[in-house]
Amino acid sequence: MAMRELVTGGAACAVPGSSSSSNPLGAFANALIGSSSQKERLQEIPTSTLNTSGNNLYSGAGEPLSALPGAESEHHLQHETKGSEFVSGFHAANDNRLAEVWDGIQNPQIAHFPTGREGQTIFPLGRPQPQQELNGPPQRVLSSFLHSFVNSSHGGVPFGPTQLPMLGLSEGDKRCIRDRSSIMARHFFADKSEDFINGQVNALLSSLEIDNHALARGHMSGRHSELEQYWNEPQVVMPGPHTGDGWADEFAQHRLGQGDPNAWALSFERQHGAGGWASEFEHEQTQMTSVDRMAGANIPSLAAMEQTRMLAHTLAQNSNPKFQNSKFLQFVSKMSRGELTIEDNQVKPALAASGDWANEYQQQYNAGPSSWADQYAHEEISRGPDRWANEFATERAHHGPVDEQWVNEFSKLQVNDWADEFGRQVGEGVLGDDSADNWASAYDEYLNEQAVVKQKSENSRGVYVFSDLNPYVGHPDPLREGQELFRKGLLSEAVLALEAEVLKNPENAEGWRLLGVAHAENDDDQQAIASMMRAQEADPTNLEVLLALGVSHTNELEQQAALKYLYSWLRHHPVYGKIAPPELSDSLYYADVARTFNEAAQMSPEDADVHIVLGVLYNLSREYDKAIESFQTALKLKPRDYSLWNKLGATQANSVQSADAIYAYQQALDLKPNYVRAWANMGISYANQGMYEDSIRYYVRALAMNPKADNAWQYLRISLSCASRNDMMEACDSRNLDVLQKEFPL
Amino acid sequence: MASSFTLKSAALMDQMKAHFSTDAGKALTKKIGLVYQINIAPKKLGFNEESYVVDLKKGELTKGPYEDGKPDATFSFTDDDFIKVATGKMNPQIAFMRGAMKVKGSLSAAQKFTPDIFPQPSKM
Repeated sequence: MAMRELVTGGAACAVPGSSSSSNPLGAFANALIGSSSQKERLQEIPTSTLNTSGNNLYSGAGEPLSALPGAESEHHLQHETKGSEFVSGFHAANDNRLAEVWDGIQNPQIAHFPTGREGQTIFPLGRPQPQQELNGPPQRVLSSFLHSFVNSSHGGVPFGPTQLPMLGLSEGDKRCIRDRSSIMARHFFADKSEDFINGQVNALLSSLEIDNHALARGHMSGRHSELEQYWNEPQVVMPGPHTGDGWADEFAQHRLGQGDPNAWALSFERQHGAGGWASEFEHEQTQMTSVDRMAGANIPSLAAMEQTRMLAHTLAQNSNPKFQNSKFLQFVSKMSRGELTIEDNQVKPALAASGDWANEYQQQYNAGPSSWADQYAHEEISRGPDRWANEFATERAHHGPVDEQWVNEFSKLQVNDWADEFGRQVGEGVLGDDSADNWASAYDEYLNEQAVVKQKSENSRGVYVFSDLNPYVGHPDPLREGQELFRKGLLSEAVLALEAEVLKNPENAEGWRLLGVAHAENDDDQQAIASMMRAQEADPTNLEVLLALGVSHTNELEQQAALKYLYSWLRHHPVYGKIAPPELSDSLYYADVARTFNEAAQMSPEDADVHIVLGVLYNLSREYDKAIESFQTALKLKPRDYSLWNKLGATQANSVQSADAIYAYQQALDLKPNYVRAWANMGISYANQGMYEDSIRYYVRALAMNPKADNAWQYLRISLSCASRNDMMEACDSRNLDVLQKEFPL
Repeated sequence: MASSFTLKSAALMDQMKAHFSTDAGKALTKKIGLVYQINIAPKKLGFNEESYVVDLKKGELTKGPYEDGKPDATFSFTDDDFIKVATGKMNPQIAFMRGAMKVKGSLSAAQKFTPDIFPQPSKM
């Protein structure tokens, strides 16, 4: 997250009413973050040895940016194209002042001060900050203030609270600043302690008169707050918690309103009228903006039909006249005959959307009971063909009064199973707000899952999913910007810049490749694979790309695909290519591939790369001891390769050497503090040792750096439940990082 | 070699097997104390299934169907769905609702089948 977003909010916090006032600031902040090299933890971009053709980007990295020809004008251009009235107003107001500030940006302090061992600039003590004049128009005060906050990251100088004039920030602005600065600070100070980070952020916030705690509290209680909504939007690309909430409310309301637990179908009819769920949800749908996304959710319609058919059949055998006449049964029958099939129909889009919704709801409800019925039948195998119906009748006979509905039967069977759960749910809805919540959240999750599955399946087809609002679109040189951001360790930000690059130049293999690397380091393998596949299309023989694809597919346990890419690596290698017979790639057998790689390793034992690939290959065959050996050999040759340390760690972890793994991850993080994947892996290793509290802290740290790391959210959930921290479950489900970070500081 | 390449779940099962040698793995036997059989089909439920027995009484994982009587519960998955459930991507309740997971045996035993039984795979 960048300074830019701190102020503009961009996609993630476009609080209504505040955007117009803060956009110019954003542009300015963008310049700050984009051009000052305040984050001098310069990591090498893992570059392709074959791919550095005529590119002065790397050589220029250590020099002041002003030395690059045209840099100055480029930045002006950038601002003007962004139409920032602020900057042009700035020009008019005080040209000299602008030049001064500009200099501060364009000539990062690295030019004037000795550079530390790790590339970190050392500041003489008491060096005056370039922007201590905190007066003038609010926008400028704010921007220079934020600038000084960024500067404080140079040498880990604690950042003191400062008196500022009134800035007139709106609540929305404040929240944005608070959220963004928290996330950003974790990028800047990834190697510092949590206390230090909090201190920095609190100093910033208190100077801006933003009450961290008050806002946080409001944030926590108000799941419906604007911020939450906008914060969730870009991360959860579908009806997030709101849908669930709406549904849960709806559900609870109806249950509460229903006095008689016996009358499930009846009361349903009473409450909803003939239209039933479909109309209910049509109504619901008007409140939901994102429902159209649901329309695409793929539900196997044949299976749904089959299940509803079974249910209809079973229900039809119930002689209870009330039931026979119920709209519910008619609804289900229609459904089963396909009259109400809603997928792939030719109805207008709006109807289709609500139709799908109803269908899904329908399936949710019907698929449940019918598979339970199925299950139930399996349990009681002695019953005849009409098992379920008979069962029902028998049970009802036992229980005497005929008034009850079939659902109620379930609740009385004392079978301790999910069907019981469901029965109780419906039967005791009046009592059970809790259980209603559980059910609703399961449903919520089900919906989420539908959308995620859809997204995932798109991804697995190799379709790259772009972010919605990308501020780097229109940037004059997004590739260089992306490389800069990547070097600084601002992975999520680098992803945006690189997306802008590949939108501009879809055939740029290097853009796609670095995008893939950034996604992998950000712990998103699906997107990494999608990017790398595009990179491979553009440049089919790039060794880095082939290796990365091999690694990602290994991570996803897709062995055959992984083997294919690893073998291509060998085939296209300028040295080892000749020992790789091309006919082998038609029918790859692991043993042959492994043997060929071992030959390669013997040819040049000093080549770290071949040992790395060999290590990945052994991971594939789960010969972890050999894999560990290969990675250790490679590390002797390339001791500062952070991704190699992570590979070693992951291999050790998968072969239950979690303690060793943690040491390896720590090495990786020392070299690259913003390495989200290593933070998440750290959490996994603690969790696998049963140290759930510790694992939670690491997951939360990883998520603070990349809230889009879905795997980490899932693992966090597991760890929370294992650590009996159900109190934090809601924060996890609503992806409320504030609460989680407060509760689990690292 | 080729056959062990067909199932993704096999990797997870291997890891589970090793996991039983750790303290965290041993703690599972105290916590759960049940025997599960898991049938995994490459593509379609019920076809070409491979069976694994996750014995959370003894702390063992073996390939092939259970031979000491009946397991407490038997689950059937497709390969992909098993990975989803075991890594927490899909909760078992939902898998069950969607028909992605079939259960046989004691359902109270089945309810204790949760993703936290399995160690999570780390990523390179």
